[in-house]
Amino acid sequence: MEYLVVFLVLVVFLQTRITDLKRAVICLGSQSFIIAIACFVLGLSNSQGIHAILPGVLTLIVKVLFIPGAVYRLVGKLKNEREILSASNVNYSTMAAALFLVLGYVIVERLLPGSAGRDIIAASILMIMTGLSLMVLRKRAIIQIVGLITLENGIYLLGLLMTEGLPLVVELGVFLDVLIAVVVLVILTSRMRLSFMTTDTSVMKKLKG
Amino acid sequence: MNYCITDLLYFILALPVIFSGVAATNCLGKDLLHWLNRLVATAVAGAIVMLTLSFDPDMPYIGRYIYLDALSMWMMIIIGTLYFAFAWTSKAYLDRDTNKRYGYLRRFGRLEGRFYALSHIFVWIMFVVVLVNNLGLMWVAIEATTLVSALLVAFKFTRTSLEATWKYVMVCTVGICLALLGTIIVYYIQLNNIGTANPLDWLYLAQHSGEINPAMAKFAFCFLFVGYGTKIGLAPMHAWLPDAHSEAPALTSGLLSGSLCICAIYVLIRNIIILMPAIGIDFISGLCLFFGIFTIAVAVPFVVVQRDIKRMLAYSSMENFGLMVAGLGLFVPVAAQAMLLHMFNHALVKYSLFYTAGTIMEEYGTKNMMRIHGMMVQVPKTACFLLLSIVAILGMPPFGVFFSKFYMIYGFFTADHPWMGIITLVLLAGMLIGILYHILRMLGSQPKRKSSGELFGVVDSVVIAALLLFSCVASAGLSEITVLNHLLESAARIVLGGVA
Repeated sequence: MEYLVVFLVLVVFLQTRITDLKRAVICLGSQSFIIAIACFVLGLSNSQGIHAILPGVLTLIVKVLFIPGAVYRLVGKLKNEREILSASNVNYSTMAAALFLVLGYVIVERLLPGSAGRDIIAASILMIMTGLSLMVLRKRAIIQIVGLITLENGIYLLGLLMTEGLPLVVELGVFLDVLIAVVVLVILTSRMRLSFMTTDTSVMKKLKG
Repeated sequence: MNYCITDLLYFILALPVIFSGVAATNCLGKDLLHWLNRLVATAVAGAIVMLTLSFDPDMPYIGRYIYLDALSMWMMIIIGTLYFAFAWTSKAYLDRDTNKRYGYLRRFGRLEGRFYALSHIFVWIMFVVVLVNNLGLMWVAIEATTLVSALLVAFKFTRTSLEATWKYVMVCTVGICLALLGTIIVYYIQLNNIGTANPLDWLYLAQHSGEINPAMAKFAFCFLFVGYGTKIGLAPMHAWLPDAHSEAPALTSGLLSGSLCICAIYVLIRNIIILMPAIGIDFISGLCLFFGIFTIAVAVPFVVVQRDIKRMLAYSSMENFGLMVAGLGLFVPVAAQAMLLHMFNHALVKYSLFYTAGTIMEEYGTKNMMRIHGMMVQVPKTACFLLLSIVAILGMPPFGVFFSKFYMIYGFFTADHPWMGIITLVLLAGMLIGILYHILRMLGSQPKRKSSGELFGVVDSVVIAALLLFSCVASAGLSEITVLNHLLESAARIVLGGVA
């Protein structure tokens, strides 16, 4: 479990520095893969039967294969697209992620002192905050989708750890929602490419007031 | 013939899905599609009427995944009425939008099938929101409404509608993710304080709400409030609301404003009922009152400077949602009843307003209110409906909204928040002045622009008139309609935490 946390933190830090869209998607896939392993580890140690392996299997299918696959296909159609950021900007993002990690540990110490999965809760808080900041600060639609999935992964991991998995029906519903969300976002992004000739969301500023 | 509640519920939950599956295949002829759509919605509305008549508010129906009590029954009535109105106005709207010079949909052929499929599934998910018994499933359904309605908001795929949809999906999904976090914390509380039986079951949690740990409950409530508040459109998180409401097709705007946002309020109420004994009324009441009134205060200036008619209506919706949340925060029976009644009235009147606004957009080829003059002369029927609905939404007697707003304001004074009541009254007056200024200018003065003639048909006029009349009769004569009155009283009791 500890190794997983190290890898997870590494991947999230990497995500704050990536500007190339393809690499961002691959990074997202590997992040989800780590979550899937965490699901298997926690599931097999805590419960029996279908509830032990189902979250892991679903994560593997939906978040590791389907979502990055769909987004990757979309990225393949985009030409000359990358997140434009200056070096100092990237450094600030990474620094912010480091702050979020410290913040995560502070929150854990305050709210749930002495809990078993202290490191992994901190890591999931890091993921939630990083996902939010990716969605707010980055301009490319693809990176915003990546941020959204990172946020969702963080919340999912936190839920997995705090409650040893949601009830089965709810779990299935959550996965279904994530799946539909990505489908909708991919449709929107490809329409955006047709209408605006770019996936830079900062060109969309006509609606105000 | 005698049907039991289970049959009726299965009927209500099965029919829209089947229809949208058929409509999505796009193999039906245009006329058949329109008539089938009307038939399905009428059948579902009829089933809801029968359900209302056979349902005893003091005896909630408990199924495996379904829980139906007075509060959910009330929401079913609201959504069902709008569903009925949607089905009977959709043909006129779609025909116009695919034919006339300003019709957005004219560039694409045969999109009616897809539009119907999405709309019916959208309404169906809202039925699911109010019927499921599980807090987690409620969350799932609310998120699903966002996603399905996103495709409806972007239906025209114009640049502005894409922008609105992107904002809508991004803002609402983040908000709803926070609500998921809140739900997870509620489950954590349940595991630690109550036990592992009946995970996240609403009734079970409500019966055991006394055993909840206050500190964690407060934490969970903050996330739930921010999360579902985003979906309701409360002030700092409202960025998506005017965009989505103004860019969607008029029918979708009506459904969004009339039923979707109150579904979010419904889920918030369900969560509040569980967490209230642990947190205490003061904290919840303070948050609801502050954000509710803040939302009204934010909406007023935007209405006054608005030029886009649908955006103006969207801000008016925000004002009404703010008022509902503030009314929820008062925690007195009269305000709780008024809030539920206001949901009903607002839904009906706002649907007719959005529909009328859509008609005006097609008659004049613009959404800009500054370019529309002399409607009384050019399009008397539309002008009449616009005036009536505006008068209704602003809360003037004899329309229904008057009664609900009046009792809500009365609630402020009985609940010992007189200053809040006065502030709300002042803000509502500002709203009235802002909206009337724009609307009267559109209705009066000399026509300066050619319109494409009166577009209100027979069927849609009847439906809109019926909506206005229904809201008027149901609120004014509430004490005479025993079924609705009894239902409303029981629903208000549930809102205040009186679970069977």
